[in-house]
Amino acid sequence: MAYAKITAMLLESLETHCFRNTSGKISWGPNLNIIYGDNGQGKTNWLEAIYLLATTKSFRTQRLQEAVCFGEELAIVRGRVACAQEVHRDLQVAVQSGTKTLIVNSKREAVTRYLGQLDAIAFTADELEVVRGAPDARRRFLDRGILSLHHIYVQTLADYNRVIKQKNRLLQDASNAEQSAADVLPLITPWNEQLISLGSQIHHARAGYVTRLNEVLERRLFGREEVTIRYVSSLEGKGDLSDYESLLAERLRLRLPAEIAAGYALVGPHRDDLGILFDGHEIRTYGSSGQQRSALITLDLAAISLYYSWRREYPLFLIDDIDAELDGKRIEHLLKHLEGRTQTFITTSKESLVKQYLTRANVYEVKEGLVAEARLLTNKSMSLVTEA
Amino acid sequence: MLEYAEPVIKLIDEFKRLPGIGHKSAQRLAFHVLRMSETDVERFIAALQEVKRRIVSCSICNNLTDVDPCRFCSSPGRDRSVICVVEEPYNLVAVEKTRSYKGLYHVLHGSISPIRGMNVEDLRLANLLPRLKPENNEGVEVREVILATNPNTEGEATANYIKHLLKPLGLRVTRIAMGMPVGSDLEYVDEVTMDKALTNRHEI
Ligand SMILES: [Zn+2]
Repeated sequence: MAYAKITAMLLESLETHCFRNTSGKISWGPNLNIIYGDNGQGKTNWLEAIYLLATTKSFRTQRLQEAVCFGEELAIVRGRVACAQEVHRDLQVAVQSGTKTLIVNSKREAVTRYLGQLDAIAFTADELEVVRGAPDARRRFLDRGILSLHHIYVQTLADYNRVIKQKNRLLQDASNAEQSAADVLPLITPWNEQLISLGSQIHHARAGYVTRLNEVLERRLFGREEVTIRYVSSLEGKGDLSDYESLLAERLRLRLPAEIAAGYALVGPHRDDLGILFDGHEIRTYGSSGQQRSALITLDLAAISLYYSWRREYPLFLIDDIDAELDGKRIEHLLKHLEGRTQTFITTSKESLVKQYLTRANVYEVKEGLVAEARLLTNKSMSLVTEA
Repeated sequence: MLEYAEPVIKLIDEFKRLPGIGHKSAQRLAFHVLRMSETDVERFIAALQEVKRRIVSCSICNNLTDVDPCRFCSSPGRDRSVICVVEEPYNLVAVEKTRSYKGLYHVLHGSISPIRGMNVEDLRLANLLPRLKPENNEGVEVREVILATNPNTEGEATANYIKHLLKPLGLRVTRIAMGMPVGSDLEYVDEVTMDKALTNRHEI
């Protein structure tokens, strides 16, 4: 059932130990993998494990310790990755006491060196926040995309967030003590100088990413309506955006009294947004839930093709609870688009969907976290064969 | 009821006050002490007391020393026209290991970090400005101050703050370049360091 895959990045197998309710090992197919089972059996946990191995993060929680099986201290997710025809790597993410250890071929690695061996883009219910939620979900969408192309961006973001945190504390103290801008200026300047340099890097990275995303966006993938996107800087209309660094410095100077009054940082790319328009209308406010889902898929596919044009290989694509999120027509359209490109992992509770794709997919049934591989043995019957 | 006898718990609590020591390590250390001979314990106590009695901070540069002023500040062989500012005494040791730096030092004993309650006034900075005057520096004028604080956001903020403090005085203020660790293979340098090394490249 497996046909040759044209790209290199491939998750061959995945083994988990006390990661939520999963434990065991699965060998994956190179194209479409369907994880099937009733709700509450742990389908999404396997998807989350793949995402963790690829990105070192969870798409469900910021606190990874939550993902360690109840009553256990250590959770391990391990996978074998084919990076090229004859290059295989063993990746491992271990979570213990809230910290994670990253291992490549039995050797511990820093996160900047770990990332990029495997990559994944996930379409989940949480990710719908990108098209219907607050701006921070859209900033995270952009940052994830940039990160997958430039791992160094991890440090820029971490430093920027640290600077904002430090600055917020100073502003909060100044606000409580009702200090004047003149008093606060010498203490704030050392942080603002870093904010300007890091903030400019983030602004340029995001604006550039959106430009490139727009170039590869298939605007009418799901119908007549056209999807367009635009990076919306919070400094728009405040001056000359083409000299962002000077504008940011100027705004920080002007807004210091307001920042002291507020007690937190008001100026910088942590206030920016991504505009997503459907036929010229803001999708978050005016889009139907079907249009929002279509727009998000369109964005994800654009992120995938950008990734491909940059790195000459496709990331893994994960879709959680596919039939709850998309109708049959959209699913068919999407899976056709992905065929021969990404190694795709979807979860579903619908047997009809499994039957429909059985000939072109590897199907795994999940029961209480454990997995059995389902194969098509005769024409329309499924028979379960336990994975060795 | 307490899980151990009171003296044992007191010892575990003391170990837990040390940086980087959690409950399990503290417990292990405490039981190691219980197995130590009396002489070993006395030697350990004596070492702790001696270090507190004999080590003071240098009244000129804040370095930890058993003589005041410290060996660097009182050495006739050092170039008194250059001062290298570091966060901690062990950063000074790292600079000194290069054997190429012959100037003086100034130890801040920390970096600015509002979220950890470390503010500008908590840095040991007050005695830096007076040092720059020739009359307080054996008649030598200070030409340059090198800011060698750590290459993280707190170290950077500290360097920025001192830069603004010193710039009006008209002397040369420099920041150490962040870049490649020499003697290591390019392959083993992480991307962040590599990126900084590329950004801070210079003509040869
Ligand atoms: Zn000294």
